[in-house]
Order: sequence, then C-alpha cells, then structure tokens
Amino acid sequence: MNVGNVFFALSSLLALAGAFMTIASRSPIRSAVGLLITIVGIAALFLKLNAQFLAAIQLIVYAGAVVVLFVFVIMLLGPDAGDGEGTVARARVARYGAGAFFALLALGAAHLVSRAGGKPTLFGLVRPEHGSVEAIGSLLFRGEVIPFELATALLIVAVVGAIAVARGKPHVRREKQGSPTARMFHGPLMARDAQRPLPTKAQKAAAKAGAV
Amino acid sequence: MNMLGNYVEHYTMLSGALFTLGCIGFLVRRNVLVQLMCIELMLNAVNLTLVAFNRLHTGDMNGQVFAFFIIAVAAAEAAVGLAIVLAFYRLKSSVQSDEADQLRH
Amino acid sequence: MQAIEALFPANDYTLLAFIVLLPLLGAGVNGVFGKRLGKEAVSLLALSVIFVSFCLSVVTFLALGHAQEGETAARFYWKGWEWFHLSTQGGGNTTLNVAFSVDALSGTMALIVTGVGFLIHLYSTKYMEEDPGFHRFLTYLNLFIFSMLVLILGDSLPVLFVGWEGVGLCSYLLIGFWFETEANAAAGKKAFVTNRIGDFGLLVAMGLLLYYTGSLDWSGMEGHAKELLTPMQVWPLGSHVPAASLLPHGAEAWLNTPRYVSAATLVGLALFLGCAGKSAQLPLYVWLPDAMAGPTPVSALIHAATMVTAGVYLLCRLSFVMVLSPAAMFVVALVGACTALFAASIAFAQNDIKKVLAYSTVSQLGYMFLGVGVGAFTAGFFHVITHAFFKACMFLGAGSVIHAMHARIHDTDQSQDMRNMGGLRKYMPYTFWTFALSWAAIVGLPGTSGFFSKDEILLKAYTSFVKSPVAGNKLSDGNTTIELFSWPTWAGGLLYAIGLVTALMTAFYMTRLFIGIFFGEFKGWKIVKSWKAPAHGHDEADHGHSHAHEHAVPGQPLEGPTPHESPWQMWLPLAILGGLAAVSGFFNAAPLHITPFDHWLEPVFAKAGEAVQLIEDAEGKVPVFLALAFLAFAGGSGIAYWMYVTQKGEPARKFAEAFPRFHALVFDKWRVDEFYDEFVIGAVDSLAEFFTWGDKWIVDFVLARVSAALVSFSGTALRFIQTGRVQTYAAVMVLGLGAVGWFFVTPKVNATTHADDATGAYTVSAAPGLGYGYRWDLNNDGKWDTEEFGSQTDVSLNLAVKENRTVKLEVKNAFGRTATRSFSFVRPQPDLSGATSRLDLPSIGDGAVHRPTGLVHSLPKAGEAR
Repeated sequence: MNVGNVFFALSSLLALAGAFMTIASRSPIRSAVGLLITIVGIAALFLKLNAQFLAAIQLIVYAGAVVVLFVFVIMLLGPDAGDGEGTVARARVARYGAGAFFALLALGAAHLVSRAGGKPTLFGLVRPEHGSVEAIGSLLFRGEVIPFELATALLIVAVVGAIAVARGKPHVRREKQGSPTARMFHGPLMARDAQRPLPTKAQKAAAKAGAV
Repeated sequence: MNMLGNYVEHYTMLSGALFTLGCIGFLVRRNVLVQLMCIELMLNAVNLTLVAFNRLHTGDMNGQVFAFFIIAVAAAEAAVGLAIVLAFYRLKSSVQSDEADQLRH
Repeated sequence: MQAIEALFPANDYTLLAFIVLLPLLGAGVNGVFGKRLGKEAVSLLALSVIFVSFCLSVVTFLALGHAQEGETAARFYWKGWEWFHLSTQGGGNTTLNVAFSVDALSGTMALIVTGVGFLIHLYSTKYMEEDPGFHRFLTYLNLFIFSMLVLILGDSLPVLFVGWEGVGLCSYLLIGFWFETEANAAAGKKAFVTNRIGDFGLLVAMGLLLYYTGSLDWSGMEGHAKELLTPMQVWPLGSHVPAASLLPHGAEAWLNTPRYVSAATLVGLALFLGCAGKSAQLPLYVWLPDAMAGPTPVSALIHAATMVTAGVYLLCRLSFVMVLSPAAMFVVALVGACTALFAASIAFAQNDIKKVLAYSTVSQLGYMFLGVGVGAFTAGFFHVITHAFFKACMFLGAGSVIHAMHARIHDTDQSQDMRNMGGLRKYMPYTFWTFALSWAAIVGLPGTSGFFSKDEILLKAYTSFVKSPVAGNKLSDGNTTIELFSWPTWAGGLLYAIGLVTALMTAFYMTRLFIGIFFGEFKGWKIVKSWKAPAHGHDEADHGHSHAHEHAVPGQPLEGPTPHESPWQMWLPLAILGGLAAVSGFFNAAPLHITPFDHWLEPVFAKAGEAVQLIEDAEGKVPVFLALAFLAFAGGSGIAYWMYVTQKGEPARKFAEAFPRFHALVFDKWRVDEFYDEFVIGAVDSLAEFFTWGDKWIVDFVLARVSAALVSFSGTALRFIQTGRVQTYAAVMVLGLGAVGWFFVTPKVNATTHADDATGAYTVSAAPGLGYGYRWDLNNDGKWDTEEFGSQTDVSLNLAVKENRTVKLEVKNAFGRTATRSFSFVRPQPDLSGATSRLDLPSIGDGAVHRPTGLVHSLPKAGEAR
C-alpha cells in the first residue's frame, strides 16, 4: 500500500462519484458539476498513467471549455433547463427497462471476462519521457500531422456550424395550424386555383356515395 | 493492495463502469443537456482505456494521441450539440428529448 | 424408262421432292396472293400443281413396277437433310433425316391421293364457285394434299407424324371452313381434339420403338424389329405402389405383383390408339359425323378417300411390327368389326344424306381394320382403294344433289334432308348413274369392286389369323418369362358373323338412301317449315298470277329452279370415279384368281406374311362364303326395296311409332356424344372448376390477399418502434448490441467432412477459432472420449460396407461456453445393376444415314438386255 495505490483509489472514487452525480441529479447544474468532478478524476488517473500532457489538456479543454459551455447554456435557458413539472414523463418503463438491460449486459460481460481467467497484466517499466509534451508533440507533428490539420479544420467547421445553428431567425411564436405539411398546403398553390376551391371532405364523401 | 492501480485490468474495469453509467444515463434521462453530458462521460471512459493500454504498450504514443484527438472532437461535438439544443429550445420551448418526435410514423 | 432411271437413281430419287413440294408451292402462292389473283388463276394453279404431282406419281409407279421383280421390294429414296441426332449416355446414337421414300405400298397410295385429289379439286372449282373464300379453300386443299403426301412418302415415323399432324390441321381448317357459324367451328375443334387423343398413342409408340429398335426409319426398324419381343413391366410403375402399404397384406401383395406385357403388344396397342383417332374407330369416331359440317368436297377427299385411311396405311407400313403381337392384332380386328356394326346401326335412322354417308365411312373403315387385324394386309389395303373410289363418288354425288337442292331450299339442314328429295333421277341423270355404280359397289353387287374387296376381307376374317412370334408361345428375357396371347379358335367365327351382319345392314341402309334420293316423287316442291326467302329475289310474279309467291305460306308450292344437272366439272369426276368403282375390283379378284394387286404388294408384306397363317381347308370355304355374301347383298337390298318402294315406307314408320324411344336412341347416335359430354368433358370441367376454386381461394386469397394482409399488419405493428425519439432508437441499439455480443460470445462449431465411399475412409476437420478447445466422440457410444478439451482438430475413421457411425464434436471457447454438433456417415452399397437400352449398344451409331440396304435395284448397264 503506497501513495500510488491510494491515489488511484481516490481518483477512481472521484470519477465514479461524479458519474453518479451526473446521471442522477434532478437539476442540470448539478449534473454539470458532477461531470466536472469526473473530468478531474479522469485527469488524475491520467497523471497516474504517465500521461501528463494529456491530463493538462483534459483539464484545460474539458473542464475549462466544455463544462463552461454547458454552464453557459444552462444559464441561457434559465428555469426551463431542468425537468419541468409541466411535462409528463413518457415511456418511463421503456427507458428504465433499456437502462436496466444495458446494466445487465455490462454485468454479464464482466462475469464472462472474469471467468475467462488468465493472469492480470502488470504494467511494466516506462521511460521518463513517456507521456511528455515532446513525445506527443513529435508524434503529432511528424507522424500524425495530417489528422492534426484535419482536426483543426474540424474545429473551425464546428465553430462556424455552431454559430449558424444557434443564431436562427428572430423567433416569432405562432399558433399551430396542425402539422407543418398542413400549413404548407393550407391555401391554393397558384392564384388561378383560388377561384376553384377544392372539395371538402364532406363533399368528397357525398360524391362517392352518389356514384355507387 | 500493492497492486491497485498497477494492472491494466483495473483501469479497464473502471472505464467499463464509467461507460455503463454514461450509457444508462443517456437511456434514462429525458433532459437533452444531461444526455449530452452522459455522452461526454462515455467519451472520457474510452479515453481512459486508451491511455491505460498505451501505458501497457510503451512502444509509441499512439494511444495518447488517439485520446488527444478524441478530446478535440468531443469539444467540437459539444459545441455543435449545444447550438442544436438552443435552436430546439427556440422551436419547442423545452429541452425534453421526448418533444423531438416529428420524424415519427 | 431408262432415261428416268438414269436421271433419278433409286437412292437419290429427286422426283419425290417434286411430288411432295409442288402442292405446297400451290398452297403458298394461293394463300398469299390468292385474293389478288382472281378465281381463274387460283383454280388453274391449284389444279395444275396437283395434276403435275399426279403425273409424276404415275411415272414413279411405272418406274417402281419396272424396278421391282421377285421377292425383294423396290424402294426409291430421297434425303432432304439431317433433322436431328440423338445420343444416349451409354454411347449409342442414332440420326434422323428428313427423307422420303416410295415403295409399292406408298406408290399406290400416292396415286390414289393425287388422282382422287385432282378430281376433287376439279369438282371444287365449280362447287365452291360462289363462295367468297374460294382461294382459301383451294389453298387448304393443296395444303392437305401436301401433308398427306408427306405422311405416305415419309421415310420415318417422325416425318410421317409431321404429315399426320398436318392432315389433322387441314381437316380442322376445312371442316370449320364456314367458321362464322358456331357449330362449324365447334365441329372443327372436335375433330382436332379427338385426333390429338390418338396422337398421344402414336407418340408413345414412337418412343417405345426408338427405345427397343434404336431407330425410327422403316429400314432400321425392320432390321431390329425382333428386339421388341421382350417382356416389359407395366405395373407397378417404379418398384411399388405408394399407398399400397395401407391395404391388408393380401391385397397389397396382389397390387404390387409386377405385371409384364410384351413390348410389341404395347407398341401395337399404342399405334392402334393413334389409328383410332385418325381413322375414326370406337371410341374416337365421334368427330367424323360432325365433320360433315364442312363443304362436301372436303368430306369426299378427307373423310372418305384419304385422311381417314392414314391409319390403315400406318398399320400396313408397320405390318412387320404389328404381327409381332397377336394380342394387338386381335384387338384391332375386334374393334374394327364392332365399329363397323355400331356405325351401320346408326345409319339406319339418319335422314341427312351426308350423315348416312359419314356413318357408312366409319363402318367401312371398320372393315379395313378388320382386314388388317387378321393379317390380311393386302385385302385391307385393297378395300382402302376401292372405298376411296366409291365413297368419294358417293360424296361428290351427294354434293351434286345438295347443290341442286340448295338452289331451291337455301337452308343448309333442309337441303340435305332425304325427306325433301326423291325422284331426282329424272332431273340429274349423270349423278344418278354414277351414284348407282357406287351403290352397287358398296352393297356388294357381284362383279363390282366393293364385292371383291369386302368379301375378300370377310373370307380372310374367318380363315386368317396371326400366329405366335416365338416358339412355345413363351417370351423371356432371362429374368422373367411370360405367356403370350394366342389367337382363339372362336375368333374367326365371331368376326365373320359380325362382318356378315354388317354387310346385310350396309346393303339395307345404302339402298334406303339410294331410293330416298333418286326414286319416288320429288318432295321438295312444297315449302318446308323452316323455309327462308331465297337470296336472289324471285318475286317478279306480281302480275296477277294465281300463286302468291311473296309470302311464305307453308304448303304452297315453292317457286324456284327445278333441280338440274351439275356442270361438267362436277359430273366428270363422278363419271371417272364411278367407272373405277365398277371395274377396279378386277385388280384383285381373288375368287377368280386374278390377283395382280396381291402380287404387286407381296414383297412389301413379305416379312409380315411369315406370321400370318390360314386355317386348314380355307380354299374349300370360298364357295360357301361367296354364297353367303350374295345372300347378304340380295337380302339387304331386297328388304330395303320392299320396305321403301313397294310398301312406300310404311313398315319403317310403324316400327318407329311402335318403339319410339328405341328409335330416338338410334337416331341420336346411341347418345355417345352425350355420354362423352357428361363424363369426359364433365370431368375436365370439374377439374377446371376445382382449379378455379383453387385460384380464387388459395392463390388469390391465401397467397395474395392474406399475405398482403400479413405484411400490412406487421407494418402496423412495427410502426410503433418508429417513435421519432432518439432515446428509443438508442434503446433499440442497445438491444442490437446485446445480440451482437451474444453472437461473439458463443463458439461456432464448423467442420468440413471428406467422404470416400469407395475405400471407406472418412475424415472430419474442425475449423479453428480463438481460444477454442475440442472434444470428440468417435466410437458411437454416446459418451465423450476425453474429459478435457484438447486441441485435436482432425479425426479420421474407416467404415465397412453398409456400416454407419455418428461422430460428435464439442467446442469450448475462452468464455467457457460450449456448442455441440454431430456428423453421421453411412457407407452405401455399390450399384451393380446393368439395365441398358438398345440405343446404348455400340452396333448402332456409325453416324451414317440409314440407307435402305439390299432393297435397291441395281441399274442396268447400257445395252444389257432386260
């Protein structure tokens, strides 16, 4: 029992607790905080795994940008962000059933794996520069430079897309006239058809009865 | 107890648990924001597995680089996803994923 | 003659091609351009092609006569091209060519067909003059002559069959010539369909002949005909009757005992079925009376002289096959005799003159088959020729009478009714005298052709029989032995009795017909009940005459032309045919020992003649039979004369009034057509209704609508999954993930087997997999051979003959899950049976054309004395 073991135990507990908080909180801000805790826990585990650079990136990007983004959106949404009381919980059985089924699957897989036996694999010795900035950087900029540049392009596209989707038009609340299809075909398509109204449902039924 | 954290199986089990929790959360919760957070949970679990195996096979840094790219893509995906949530909120005044059912039969 | 022989050698006799193809040319040109060419050109073309064919047939006949001497039959052969080539798996093969050949039998027949055909063509140019389909009629007639020539001049059964079907087709076209009337079209259909039933028999015979003799042309079959004398298993088909095991043991054993018949008998019976269809014997005669719906020249040509005799020709051509089966010959003779009697009985009560002649034709055809059946091929064939003359003459004479009656009474049925005729001999002398000559021939006036031919048949019916083709009357092929049918001793007497009674009846009803048409007072003066106004208006008598003609008042005398004699194109053929009917008997007058015809055909029937035998004291019976025949003629005609001339038909009327139901039954042709309609056609109709029900309720309802309903129902059910919500879809993905996981977690048991039945070595190789362990059970004891799972993937085992073993394999993967599979092996017994057909034997199959061997007369060298 040394520091490393304790560190591992604490960070894994942290990650699991954060996960539970994420999925089980009623308020979304608490879920966001849970996510933050999990991310910190994962970052700690990265440190244990000699992935220092990645731990830093995890904290900067995930905790510092993604979770902040979530919090901003929750702020924008205001009180509507949570599970409001006005909504009816639909298909509760199906949802919980699906969740339970997946849990069963996971447990079954775990059981099979444990039965498969074999010895656990111990980590070996590692070089000091394993997980350093230089190591990852050299791989990124030499071997994997194309995916790196593509990731850049992806990020730009994502930014542009997010702006395009989130901007939208000034929202005009209008009362519903049935489905969008009905609204599209509500009136005549061309002007000349305005003089000849289409038969109503009652008129169509009467014509059919007369013909028979 | 000396072995805790020094076997790759510990990390894969933890990762599996995290992934399971994230998936159950995604299937159960109706709030779109929470669902997105659960997706992030799942991605993090996968990252953990990758880095753990990279710690096992120390020949090169491929696992960590893979995790690096996953982080980048997850960030982009979160941004776009939240933009969609905002647009959806504008349409339906709600963030319940039940409301997004216009592609039904 | 030398020029002909030099130009056309016997094995490349090109004249045959001309004889056959000229009528086809006529038919083609008339058919395509007939409407534009006009009546004169069409008649000229049609008549000239037949006339040229006739002249070439005469030339061929004389050349044959010159070439044939002694015992071997001369045969001229012409090959067109190779039609098809059959080969069997055993290595045998046989080639069939489109080829024609002519010998004494077919040469005579060709003369009759083209000669009588020409006369009838000449007749038709006048008879059908006013018909709008004139060119079509002559086209069909030419086509018919072509088909008939293909039939008789064909060198092999398939070529004959082409002609056979061709004459059937032309018969259909010509019977239904006036197809706008429903009844005529139906009559044509009936003829064709009834013929088809017979054709089935002919096809079966062809198949059997090919199998047993290995070839289908006359010379090939003649050479190997003896191969037909093998027993053939006809029951059960296969090795046992399928449902017989449900019956009690005795019945099952009886049902499953194999029955054997000589192959020759099967071939003979199948051939006779074909003849029964084409030549109108019981039970397939029903089409011939209905065929009278066609124009009278058609009845004369097709249904008196040529097509219906194709069956007799076929049996004569295949005489060497028929005599191998006394059973089949007996059936032929008996059915022929019964048909003769049956048809004669129907003719007693008919009033339509064409119907009387039709039933008379069926009856005379029965005589021909009677003659052929007892082995008197020459006598039967001679009757074909004489019948062609007198029956064609009578039909043409009837046509002449109808032509005259039709000018007065435009209704078809009434103009043919005997009750409207009478006393026509003063108005139509030529028709009367030629009809009288033919009447004399058919009733058997001594000295006429009919007397000699019919009585020869009757004599031979009593004295001739077919003896057994094998010694000891037992047929064996090494495995099974069967006892063959032997000609019963009472058969001669029975057949003769039936024939004699029929001769008496024939004399009676033909005399009745003759008297009814030509003697007494003409009854057509009065308007009959179903009189229709004539097409060309006769109402010019509007000037105050005492008779009122415009209105059809029954009982009033009918205005119209008196019956008149026909033009020369119609009575000249009558004269020629009548004259031939009178004198042609002397070609084969057996009682007078003048038999050039018999001598001429002897080489053709030489092989068949070996199997035919006369009872002892045949010569002594001749005077007795001659006397009996004369009594039949005198008695029949005398009774008819007494009844219809002296007593003016009173006894007949009283008989009809005394037994009305019996009279109605005979008048309705013993209601055979109604019987067929009820049972045969009714059965087909029921089958069709069953299938309609099946189509409506099974195909339409169950297969179409129910399956459509199932699909739409399942669609409605499955649509509930399409909620449009992402969570639902994610949940379904989880389910799918479970299934995929299950697939990966279970181990797969795959193994390839290799079986070598000859040596008995069998191997099983299991497919490899990640982390798999294997466990086997090789020794059939149901328990695993080892407890542990090892890594042995291949096993092999040896089996003895007819031993079986089951090998089981169990596979375990890294997750600890197992799966099992079993393989069973049987080593079969090798097949040692050696059943083969004649076609597989190597002696046939040189691939060469089957030339007639040994029958070709060598050409005389120049200057050699004859």
